[in-house]
Amino acid sequence: MKLEIRKVPESEPETVEIRYHWVTSEIQEIISFVKSRQGQLSAARDGKRFEVPVVDLFYAESVDDRVFLYTASDSYEIRMKLYELEDLLKNKCFLRISKSMLVNLMKVSSVRPALNGRFSAILKNGEEIIISRKYVPALKQVLKGGEAR
Amino acid sequence: MTRSGWKKLLISALRLYTLLVALITVLMIILGTLLDRGRVFSYEAFFSPLLYALIGTAAAMVTRSDKEPSVRSLIIRKVISLLLIEGAILFLALNSPAIPTEKSWVLPGLALGVLAVFVLAHVIQYAADSKEAEQLSADLARYQEKQTGRI
Repeated sequence: MKLEIRKVPESEPETVEIRYHWVTSEIQEIISFVKSRQGQLSAARDGKRFEVPVVDLFYAESVDDRVFLYTASDSYEIRMKLYELEDLLKNKCFLRISKSMLVNLMKVSSVRPALNGRFSAILKNGEEIIISRKYVPALKQVLKGGEAR
Repeated sequence: MTRSGWKKLLISALRLYTLLVALITVLMIILGTLLDRGRVFSYEAFFSPLLYALIGTAAAMVTRSDKEPSVRSLIIRKVISLLLIEGAILFLALNSPAIPTEKSWVLPGLALGVLAVFVLAHVIQYAADSKEAEQLSADLARYQEKQTGRI
């Protein structure tokens, strides 16, 4: 794929133009990346494509190599790996809380103890998800104003 | 396991050991005062809580896992851990001349005492986790307030 980067005068809007023959997974990935930078993620539900605003996401979960996004009441499948999504959303209040899950910290209403040193995050829609022991130090660090390592 | 993993394991084992020593000492005081008030011990009796706590800690460490167990697997591990502790303590009691196992209340009393210490240790750990969760919730509220201010 040929890459063309051109400087434009400030009077012109900054534009990303994708010229394609077919919408391959590679093209779809680039589209998803650009949209995510604009605060939206391209995901599918019941065979239809949707633009899901990042601020509406509660959490993302990887199940059998497929990644799902969850809003207050809907779920969508996204064609991305969880670590790619983590990288994309790390400056948007998202944090890894287990091997298979990212949570939007803005959608967590409280934290309570679960069994065996783990914690549960109670989400604003009433759902409860587990925070693994391994990821608790990173959570504490982010909440104290640092960056997760 | 990594070096920091071993360090964490050691810290949690020491924390559990200290907690168990304290709880076992309290249990011995209560059981002894209630059931065998007139008994006199030598200084060696001070070793008992240290030894029993060591058994309890070893059993907890044997059944722990670095993986995140499911609730079902966690309960099974806890039950195995309790059975190991009960078995070891009763074995020690039956082979110790200082413990009057011929008296009918001694073995059931010990078994119940071990169960009480086991439950109490978990309740105390849960209380400590609750305090930590409260702190996390407060930090989370501050974080959300700060992030909303940025937007």
